[in-house]
Amino acid sequence: MTGLLVKNAYVIDPLSGVNGEIMDIAIRDGKIVEEVGSGAVVIDAGGCLTLPGGIDSHSHVCGTKVNFGRYMSPEDMRAGRTARKGVMHVTSGYSVPTTFGNSYRYSSMGYTTVLEGAMAPLEARHTHEEFTATPHQDMLANTLFDGNWSIMEAVRDKDVKRAAAVVAWTLAAVKGFAIKLTNPGGTEAWGWGEDVHSIRDEVPHFGVTPAEIIETMIQANELLNLPHSVHIHCNNLGVPGNYQTTLDTIGLAPDLNRERQSLYLTHVQFHSYGGSTWKDICSKSEEVARAVNARPQVAIDMGQIMFGRTTTMTADGPMEFKLYMLHHNKWSNHDVELETGSGIIPVYYSRKSLVNCVMWAIGLELALLTKNPWQCMLATDNPNGAPFVKYPEIIALLMSRKLREYEMKAIDPRTEHFVPLFAIDRELDWYEIAVMTRAAQAKALGITRIGKGHLAPGAEADIAIYPLKPDELDPAVDYQQVMAGFAKTSYTIKRGRVVARDGEVIVEGANSTIWTRAEVPPEFDLNKDPEFVKKFEQYYTVRMRNYPVQDIYLPRGVSIRTEASL
Amino acid sequence: MRFVLNTGRTIRQGSYVERKNSPVYREEAASLHMDRVDMLDLEIEEGSHVRVKSDQGAVVMVARPADGLVRGEVFVCLGPYANFLVNPETHGTGMPDFKTTVVTIEPTTDPVPTVRELMEQCGGVGYEG
Amino acid sequence: MKVEDVVCPFCGCLCDDLVVEVENNRVTSVENGCTLANEKLMEDHRLKNPIRRERGSWKDVSYDAAIQETAEILLDADRPLLYGWSGTHGEAQSVGVHLAELLGAVIDNTSTVCHGPSILAIQEVGHPGCTLGQVKNRADVIVYWGANPIDAHPRHMSRYTTYADGFFVKDAFKERKVIVIDVRKTESSAVANEFVKVDQGGDYAVLSALRAIVRGKGDLIPVKVAGVTREQLFRVADICKNAKFGAIFFGLGLTMSPGKNKNIRNAIELTEELNRHTKFTISPMRGHWNVYGSNEVFTWISGYPYAVDFARGIAFYNPGETTSVDILRRGECDACLVVASDPGAHFPRACAEHLARIPTVQIDPHVNATTHLATLQIPVAVTGIDAEGTAYRMDGVPIRTRKLYEGTYPSDLEILGKIYARVKEAKGS
Ligand code: SF4
Ligand SMILES: [Zn+2]
Repeated sequence: MTGLLVKNAYVIDPLSGVNGEIMDIAIRDGKIVEEVGSGAVVIDAGGCLTLPGGIDSHSHVCGTKVNFGRYMSPEDMRAGRTARKGVMHVTSGYSVPTTFGNSYRYSSMGYTTVLEGAMAPLEARHTHEEFTATPHQDMLANTLFDGNWSIMEAVRDKDVKRAAAVVAWTLAAVKGFAIKLTNPGGTEAWGWGEDVHSIRDEVPHFGVTPAEIIETMIQANELLNLPHSVHIHCNNLGVPGNYQTTLDTIGLAPDLNRERQSLYLTHVQFHSYGGSTWKDICSKSEEVARAVNARPQVAIDMGQIMFGRTTTMTADGPMEFKLYMLHHNKWSNHDVELETGSGIIPVYYSRKSLVNCVMWAIGLELALLTKNPWQCMLATDNPNGAPFVKYPEIIALLMSRKLREYEMKAIDPRTEHFVPLFAIDRELDWYEIAVMTRAAQAKALGITRIGKGHLAPGAEADIAIYPLKPDELDPAVDYQQVMAGFAKTSYTIKRGRVVARDGEVIVEGANSTIWTRAEVPPEFDLNKDPEFVKKFEQYYTVRMRNYPVQDIYLPRGVSIRTEASL
Repeated sequence: MRFVLNTGRTIRQGSYVERKNSPVYREEAASLHMDRVDMLDLEIEEGSHVRVKSDQGAVVMVARPADGLVRGEVFVCLGPYANFLVNPETHGTGMPDFKTTVVTIEPTTDPVPTVRELMEQCGGVGYEG
Repeated sequence: MKVEDVVCPFCGCLCDDLVVEVENNRVTSVENGCTLANEKLMEDHRLKNPIRRERGSWKDVSYDAAIQETAEILLDADRPLLYGWSGTHGEAQSVGVHLAELLGAVIDNTSTVCHGPSILAIQEVGHPGCTLGQVKNRADVIVYWGANPIDAHPRHMSRYTTYADGFFVKDAFKERKVIVIDVRKTESSAVANEFVKVDQGGDYAVLSALRAIVRGKGDLIPVKVAGVTREQLFRVADICKNAKFGAIFFGLGLTMSPGKNKNIRNAIELTEELNRHTKFTISPMRGHWNVYGSNEVFTWISGYPYAVDFARGIAFYNPGETTSVDILRRGECDACLVVASDPGAHFPRACAEHLARIPTVQIDPHVNATTHLATLQIPVAVTGIDAEGTAYRMDGVPIRTRKLYEGTYPSDLEILGKIYARVKEAKGS
C-alpha cells in the first residue's frame, strides 16, 4: 500500500496534547505513521477541523430491544427512508434506524466507534449479528449483569472473586466488552412486577442491595483488569428526587485505577432530578456536577434530551412501565431469564412540557458545570434522549450561549425557576468538544491502548475531517455553521480508508467487534463449576454448550486480553 | 347442510409435512372431523367420503367423528385440502379467514384426490418424486 | 457418531437439548425430541437434484443451470415476490432481503399467514413479553389462548410451562395453574386445570369481558359471553389477578379468527391491565422454528418484520396490500421465488392458481405441494441437519443450529448467494 496523506489539517488530538495545529497526517496499512512516501494519495484538508474518529460511549443501536423498537414502530421506520444508492443499502427509521441507517448516519458525522449500551448475555448472538450489519463502526457491547443470579449469589456470599469469575466467563462467552449494571437489582425485582427504590433496598429473594452489587462489581472489574470501568445506569431513573440515589451511587465509587475512572455513570441527565412529583421536579445538576468535580474516579455522560419524537429503550423494565403509565402510548417489555430485563416506549419531548424543558436544561447543565471535560461525555443515550443525529445541535448549544438563549425563549417560560441553566455563561471550545466526543470516550473505555481516540503514530487511522475552519469561525455566533459542519464530514476515514465523503458513504464497510477476554487461573474457570453448570441445567432454557457466541459471529473480532489478579 | 370449517395443526400433519405426496399425509390432510350427531344427520359414518363445498370450490374429503367439536363446526388440519375452500380475501390484514369458512357437506362416492391432483387442478404439473 | 445439544429445526420452541446418532450421512436415532423432531431429523426423502418443468413434464437440470435460470426469471420480472424464509437460517434470510432490495421486489415471510396479525397488534400497542425461562422459573399461572401446544409445539408444556420445574416453582405440576381457552376441545385443553370453551368467533368478546372484570367493571358482564358463563369469567379473572407471575401464550386461534389483529390487541391490553395488579406477560406461539428469525432479519435490514415492498426503491410496508396472499390474489406478481416454505399447501387455492400461472422457483429440500406448481425446484441442505446457521426462538432468543454431518447438498445460503451474485452482476452494481 502506498498510503494516504492528509495535508493541511487543523488537528485537535487531545490525547496527544495537540490543540489546533496545522499538520499533515500520514497513514499506512490502516494506521497512523510518521511519514509516507511521495506515492501516497493526498487529501488536502484545507485547514479544516480534523479530529480522531468520533466515539460514542453509550448508544443503543444493535440487539434484541433495539430491533424490537423497529419492529413495533412502522411509524418511525417511515420517518426516515432512503433508497439504495451506490454502495449504500436501503435505510429506514428516524429514532431507531435500521443497522445500515445507523451506520451511514454515524459515519457521515465522523463516528467510527460505537459502544452498544446494553446487551443481554442470553441474546448476545443477536447483538453480534447486527454489529456485522453496522459495517462502518467498530462495535463494543456493554454486557448486562444487573440481575444476574450468579452475580447476586456471589454478592450475597461476599465473594468478589466469584463475581469476577462470573464476569470473566460471561464476557468471554458472549464476546462482551464491559460490565453494565442497569438499575442493579431492579430488573430482577421487575420479574415480579416490583422495583428497588434506593441503593439500600433489598432485592426480593436474593438478600442483596444495589449498593452491594455495585461495590462488588467495581472490585471485580478491577480484579479482572478490564479496560473499561463498571458502567452504570443508576437506580430510580426518571424519578423526581432521584439525584439523591445518584449522589449515593457516586459515593460508592472508590478510586482504584490510575488510567481511568472506577465508575462510569451513564445518561446522568435522567438521574439528576429534584422535587418529589412531576409537578415540582427541578434540576439538581449543580449537586451532581459538584460530586463529579470532587471525584476524579467517576466519569459521566450527559444523556441529553432534545425536543421532538424519539423512542426510549432500556434494560430498565420497571422504569419503562412507569413511563408507559404516564404516556399511555404503546409499551413493550422483555424480561430475560436469570439476567436482566428491558422495555421500550415511544415518546415525544415537547417544548410545551415543563418537565421536558427541565430535562433538556439538566443535560446541558451537566456538561457546562462539570469542570473537566474528560469527565463528561456528550451523548443522548441514543435514542432515549434523542437520536444521535442531534449531536451537532448539542455541540452548538454547548458552544454558544446565544443559541441557548434563543432556545430558552422558545421553551416553557416557567423553566427558569426550576433550573440553573439561564445563569450559566460557559461556552465550550473546540478542544473541549473534541474531548467530549472522542478523546474522553477512548480514555474512559480504556481503548487508547488499541489505538482508538487519538492520532499519534501507531494509532488506528480513524479520522474525521469536518468542513469547519476554527480560525475563521466564532462558534458562539456562527452556530448554524457549527451544526452543519458536525453533521457531515468532508471525509470520514476508517482504518486508513475514506469511507464517507460529504455525507455519503462510498465503500462497503468492514468493521471490527472489540471484546474483552480476562484470563483467570484455572480454579476460577466456571466451565466445570458444579453450581454454575447447574444453573444451565435447571434454570436456563438454553444448554450451556449452545450459549456462547461462536467465533463465526465476529468475522473481524478484536479481543483485548487481560490477566486477572485473582 | 351448512357448517363452519375450522383449521389448525395436528401432530400427524406436522409429522408428514415434508412428505406431502405420501398416503399418510393425504389421509391426515383430507380428514374432516365433525360431530357424531351431524354425521348421523348426513347419514354418513367414519370413513365416508364427503364433498365439501365453499364459495371457492369443492373438494372430496373423508369424514371422521370428533369429540371436541360442537354441532355445526368441522375441523380439517391446515393444508391443501382445507385451503381449496378458503377465500383469499384478507380484509386488509394480509390474513385470510382460515378458521371460519362456511361450507356445505354432502355424501359422495367420488375418490379423494391426491395432493398432486389438487395442485394439477390449480394449473400445476404433477411431479412424481 | 453421537451429537449432543442438537437444536431442533421444527417448531418455534427451538429445543436445543436433542441427542442424535448419525451414521453414514443420516440421523439414525433421536433422543429428547418429540414426534415432530424425530420425523424431521430422521427424514430420508429429499429431492435428489434440481428439476425443471418443460412442456408438461419434469426434467433434471444442473445446479448451475437452475441458478442461472432463477436469476434470469427474477431479472425479467416486473414485480417479483420472494416468499417463505421461516424454514431457513438467518444468514440466508439476510441474502434474501438484499436480493429483494436489489430487484425492487416484494419480500414476505410466513408470518403473513400465521402471526402477521400479532405483529399488526404489537405495532399498535406494544408487547409485554419475556424469555421462556422467566415463565419456567416464575410463572404460577399459564394461559393458552387459541393454541394447542400438544399438537403444534409438543414440548412447550414440558420445557417451559405446565411440567417445567423452575427456580421459584419447584413442583410445577402442583404449583402451576393452566388455563386453556379455545373454541374446541383439544389434547391441550384436556390437561388444563380450567378449560374455557368460547363460541367460534367469540374471543374478542371474552377478552373484553375479562378486561372489564380486571378493571373493576364486572357488573357490566352479562350471564354469558360468547358461550362462557359469567361465573367462569370471574373465576379466570381472579386466578389471573392473584397470580404471582402469569403468562399468556396465544396461537392461530386468535390470529386467524374473526377480529384477527384486534383480538391480539385486546389480549395485549388485557395483559397490560393485569400488570397494574401483578406481573403478566404475553407471547405468540410462533410456529416455524425460525419464523421469528425472519422477522428479526427483515427488520434490522429493512425496518419491517414482513411484507416489505422495495418497488419504490425505499422499503415500503402496508400489510393487506404488500402481503403475499393479497399480491397473489390480485394476480399482481409476475414471478415468485419460494424459499423454505410451501404456499401451495398453505395459501388459499386462488393463490396457488396464480403461482402455477407465473414462473415460480422453489428452493426447498423436499417435494411438497408447491413443487407441482413450480417451474423449477432447487433442493438444498436442511438447516439443522446438513447446514447450520442462526435461528430465533419464539421468544427472541437466538440459537445457532448445528450441522450434524457434511452432506452433499448446497445450503440455502450458497444457492441464494450465487443467485444474488448473478443478479448483481446483471444489474451492473
Ligand atoms: S417441541 Fe418443537 S422444537 Fe421441540 S423437539 Fe418438538 S418440534 Fe422440535
Ligand atoms: Zn442506555
